[in-house]
Amino acid sequence: MTRRVAIVGYAQSNHQYDMPLPREDMVFEVVKGALEDAGITKKEVDTVVSASTDFLDGRTISGVFYGMAAGAYLKDESKAEEDGTLALYYAFMRILTDIYDVALVEAHTQGSCINPHQVSFYMLDPLFDRQFNVLNDIATAALQARMYMSKYDVAEEDIAMVAVKNLANAASNPHAHRRMLDVTPEEVLNSKLYYEPIRELTMSPISDGACALVLASEERAREFTDSPVWILGAGSCQDSYLRDRNLHRLESLEKAAQRAYEMAGIKDPVSELEVLEVSEKFAHEEMMIYEALGLCREGKGRVLIEDGITSKYGELPVNPSGGALGADPVCATGLIRVIEAAKQINGEANGYQMPHACRALAHGQFGLCAQKNVVFVLGGE
Amino acid sequence: MPYIKEERPETLSVEGEWAYGAHVYKANTLLDEFCEGLREKKLIGALCMGCGKVIVPPRAICGRCHIRMEGRQVVSDRGTVVSYIVSPPMVKGKYKMLGMDPVELGIVKEGESLVPGHVRFDGSDSPYNLPILNARPEEVRVGMRVKVVWKEDLEGKLSDIEGVEPIRD
Repeated sequence: MTRRVAIVGYAQSNHQYDMPLPREDMVFEVVKGALEDAGITKKEVDTVVSASTDFLDGRTISGVFYGMAAGAYLKDESKAEEDGTLALYYAFMRILTDIYDVALVEAHTQGSCINPHQVSFYMLDPLFDRQFNVLNDIATAALQARMYMSKYDVAEEDIAMVAVKNLANAASNPHAHRRMLDVTPEEVLNSKLYYEPIRELTMSPISDGACALVLASEERAREFTDSPVWILGAGSCQDSYLRDRNLHRLESLEKAAQRAYEMAGIKDPVSELEVLEVSEKFAHEEMMIYEALGLCREGKGRVLIEDGITSKYGELPVNPSGGALGADPVCATGLIRVIEAAKQINGEANGYQMPHACRALAHGQFGLCAQKNVVFVLGGE
Repeated sequence: MPYIKEERPETLSVEGEWAYGAHVYKANTLLDEFCEGLREKKLIGALCMGCGKVIVPPRAICGRCHIRMEGRQVVSDRGTVVSYIVSPPMVKGKYKMLGMDPVELGIVKEGESLVPGHVRFDGSDSPYNLPILNARPEEVRVGMRVKVVWKEDLEGKLSDIEGVEPIRD
């Protein structure tokens, strides 16, 4: 890498259903918070990159509307459609160009304004899949779950254990939406069924929320803070649309992770990472994510859950913040993972701080059955 | 909306639509304040304590200063036309505004034009988009003085302002 880039400030909202704030105000609060956390004002910012989708924002070219709230007034500005990790990826690249030194990254969604699952219908192929009128992101995730379960002999009980872990973890995270300290596997297995095996508690909730972070080149980062969180590696990859694709494994995540590991010089993620924050929009996906990230062999994700290795007290904690099952403000979810990972490195995760977190991984995804994946490896001084 | 369906000799096509349903647009409480003001024929603008700009209709955040617009300022209901548009002559059943037919509604007579204006009220720094009423399109010009046409029964809604008309005194 030609230049080192660091995260120097961040903020997120208290994710919830039906936040009593307009989108613009919500964006303003987190952007202001991130700038304050970095100890700078918008004057220092060279470029603003945000992430959302026009569909969920309810207007086209939606960036022009919340741009002022995001601090983009008369500034270089751009919007990434989909997940916030993509916005971070673009901002990261912009700083690597040497043209920009400080970037502000923002991502948000208010799921209460329009049901994201309803919108997901329009992600489907209009020629074939939309014609059935029964498919959406939940239904396709159910296709994926069934395929994965039958291939690797995974039971619904195993999937429920992922939900139990993350929902209980979310209880100690004040920003999380669905906080369930005492949730039991039975409760998960008896929660409302959508498309078998997907249930209310094995899929992410519909949340309103936003987050923002400030990114800076090494020189500027050292001016702003004594505890920069470095981006050591980054990778992004997209798989094909549903049909021409091995649904039971996340091949694009595998590739994205390989790229990020290579850049960060990571050979063995299990021994070299201390904590991971991943975007499991459905509980079964977390096990698939373990496999794609190289934490275990293919089909063995369930063992990490069974043995408690990825629990808060395990050897390799995954989603101590509660993950996407804890809160899912669609486009913000991946960027929240990055912020949670940075908090772990800075020792700021009050109530769910993992010991000796020097290197962390954050993952964001978008598309049906996690078609597109982004991975960041972060590290402290 | 009835589209003209053209034959496509080169490709096949399937039927589909691109309408994803109702959306909730959450507004800042400033909108309540503004609407309450309308009930008393007052235009309440947002005043930025950073740059001193007054925005009507109000907005919550000043992008220039990146702070909340905490101040309030009542501005005059008289103002100046900054710019305007003259629509094509309206024909019943041909044009729709917000899903309504302006000719059917009686806003404009068949064959006449609508004149949406960009109006800056005295004391405000931003233009408000409102229709220019009671004026022939050819007499409207930039810099023309106008005043609000208030609805007869004020309800505290945005529709309390019907539009603006030229000041003829």
